[in-house]
Amino acid sequence: MAPVPVRLTINGQAHDVVVEPRRTLLEVLRTDLGLTGTKENCLEAECGVCTVLLDDLAVNACIVLAVQCRGRAVVTIEGLAAGDDLHPLQRAFIDHGAVQCGYCIPGMILAAKAYLDESVEPDEAGVRQALAGNLCRCTGYQKIVEAVLSAARARPAGAAAGPP
Amino acid sequence: MSFDYHEPTSVREAVELATRFGGDGRFLAGGTDLLIQMRRGQLAPRHVLSLHRVPGLDAIEADHAITLGALVTHRRLERVPQFRGPLQALIEGAEVVGGHQIRNVATVGGNIVNASPAADVVPVLLTLDAEVICLGPDGERSWPLEAFASAPGVTARQPHDLVTRVRFPRPDPHSATAFLKAGRRRAMEISLVCVAVRLTLDADRERCLDARIALGAVAPTTLRAHAAERSLQGRPVTDEALHGAGRVAAGECRPITDVRASARYRALLAATLVERALARCVTRIRQAA
Repeated sequence: MAPVPVRLTINGQAHDVVVEPRRTLLEVLRTDLGLTGTKENCLEAECGVCTVLLDDLAVNACIVLAVQCRGRAVVTIEGLAAGDDLHPLQRAFIDHGAVQCGYCIPGMILAAKAYLDESVEPDEAGVRQALAGNLCRCTGYQKIVEAVLSAARARPAGAAAGPP
Repeated sequence: MSFDYHEPTSVREAVELATRFGGDGRFLAGGTDLLIQMRRGQLAPRHVLSLHRVPGLDAIEADHAITLGALVTHRRLERVPQFRGPLQALIEGAEVVGGHQIRNVATVGGNIVNASPAADVVPVLLTLDAEVICLGPDGERSWPLEAFASAPGVTARQPHDLVTRVRFPRPDPHSATAFLKAGRRRAMEISLVCVAVRLTLDADRERCLDARIALGAVAPTTLRAHAAERSLQGRPVTDEALHGAGRVAAGECRPITDVRASARYRALLAATLVERALARCVTRIRQAA
């Protein structure tokens, strides 16, 4: 129950925090580190808005304890753009008007990134599968799927790293 | 939700800690059930024993028998190339669980210990005659999977028993498996009914030598439909025989009416899904010839 020191690696940068074991990665990202791009909603791993990448795999940060992330690499939406240059998926979401209220989008983009990074031949069925754990209550998903597919088409050959 | 957190680095250390804490301790695997139950206040362990730094618990071994480590994730299960073919139902059961975010962390051992009546991979393991192997303070012990769960969330395991793996024999020649699930959408759905089947035919691929039929979400635990299995034993696998087995299986389940479906609808689904899964196995065995 006593707080424990944990070094978290988030978007390539080390952060030393002291946290109670009960605290989730989501809480620590938002409250302790001010990384509010990762959203909070159902807290029961149903909606996907808190999706981050943990060692390259999409996970719901609401059901990961911060202490479990010691020695592992976390990527949040803040880690995608390189300076002012948006990640191709972020650019594609804007270009396709795939964003309405925007609340689900950070999770959508990270789930899509995990899928594209391991898929040599991404297709619509695969994109829909990859986003099945992310709810959007505004868009009806069509433009989101189109945005991910367009980012897939635009990437250079051999861009997929393969399964982590 | 306040607890001390432990990260054992061997199965021996994990069991020692669990023995010391008894009912105050809980093992943490993928956390997709445990952490949610803790947040809701349904569970309040004083000690959480994370297993993710215990080496070897995520191993998959395939020789004369197949062994799945307790920490094998659904994601891994979906991607084992050797499971294509006679063990296809393991892939089919794993790939319909939750979304990617869940399957990336949720484990086979967690699915078994959580003892949800609506578990998807557990019925598949039931059809494979799987045994559950635990390590406790007095050494190893195993149970037939069918005897492991007795009620929702209740198993034969004591708090100090660590489920280390599940093991089952390779299916005989001329065998196939199939898994089917009914829900309102194809992902992120708790099964209204799920069905797993293993069928072994004779060398002519006409007559049933052996059948296993398991059902989820139609009783307090996942269960085998023994009478339906017996109805096929030694019989030619005609459309009528498969239809009849579905009806018998529906009579063996004890579904409830809840917000997701009525008991009557679940029984109808069970009959239809059993028939279809059996037919799929017959097709698979004959196509593999």
